[in-house]
Amino acid sequence: MLRASASVISIEFEPRAITDRSLDPLLPNGRELLDLVDAVLTGTAQERASTRQAVIEAVGPTGLVDAAAVIANFEMMNRIADATGMPVGKGTLKRTAEWRALIDIDRFNHL
Amino acid sequence: MYGDVAFEFSEVAGLRADIRRVFRREWDRLALAGTWWSGRERVAIGNEARHARFGQSSPRTILATSDVEAASTVSAKPAAIRREWVNAITTDLGYPRYVEIVGIVSRLAAIDTFHVAIGTELEPLPEPEPGEPSRTEEPLARPGAAWVPMVGGASITQALSLVDAESTAQEDMHGPLYLTYEEMAELDFVRGLNRAQMELVAARTSAINECFY
Repeated sequence: MLRASASVISIEFEPRAITDRSLDPLLPNGRELLDLVDAVLTGTAQERASTRQAVIEAVGPTGLVDAAAVIANFEMMNRIADATGMPVGKGTLKRTAEWRALIDIDRFNHL
Repeated sequence: MYGDVAFEFSEVAGLRADIRRVFRREWDRLALAGTWWSGRERVAIGNEARHARFGQSSPRTILATSDVEAASTVSAKPAAIRREWVNAITTDLGYPRYVEIVGIVSRLAAIDTFHVAIGTELEPLPEPEPGEPSRTEEPLARPGAAWVPMVGGASITQALSLVDAESTAQEDMHGPLYLTYEEMAELDFVRGLNRAQMELVAARTSAINECFY
């Protein structure tokens, strides 16, 4: 979805930044958004406060609400997928093989 | 009920009405008897999940040991779940009761995470309402490629379809927090963030959660 949406709106991005935080994702305000995700899921209260402020300055309060909502949604969906053993379809696996190798997420496949 | 009292978010700029509305609806659902658990049990499941998620010791509870294990594991250690564990826990609980726990816990995780992300206190859990679970069987659900039976082929939109009310609640939450299933086809979708920014946030969340899906 990330690859396709970036392509549709004609912007570049660096997919490896999803799993390698030393890299710049290249998307507008991408670093601030990734910092927020990290702070919400693994950070301290102080880190959450500072990254929240940075996101508001970058994309405004409605952008912060959207980012918070997307993190929340995937907290839900990840649990549902993990707890029900949801397989990824063969077609999707084939279509995304190169991408998955690039960002090294096959190590999370426990099915 | 909680239709107009919870989730005020009065100090949060830019909050959308659909988010407030779906959170209030979820609180109503949590408090009421579900398909396989009473309102009292559903709130207790939420309480266990919340304690486990935030590293607090398990509260006094009306739940059985396997109920507590299911709620706390799905809440706090979802990436550690394996087929063998699901097989074992559903031997005790049965698939429908387990699937309802997955639904309750996953939506509570979403609501609590939203609060943490925007920097507001967690909403106190609702008071349970009286009533008996409907115990409605889903006759079309079948075992398949996933670890629990579902209606139709294994897909994330059908993951909770063994318990229809939980599947409906999942879909209700998905639209306001991310995109409706129909909007997902709109790759140039823009709200507070553009679609690529939303997907970046989604991908990083899944990476931290070590979720392959």
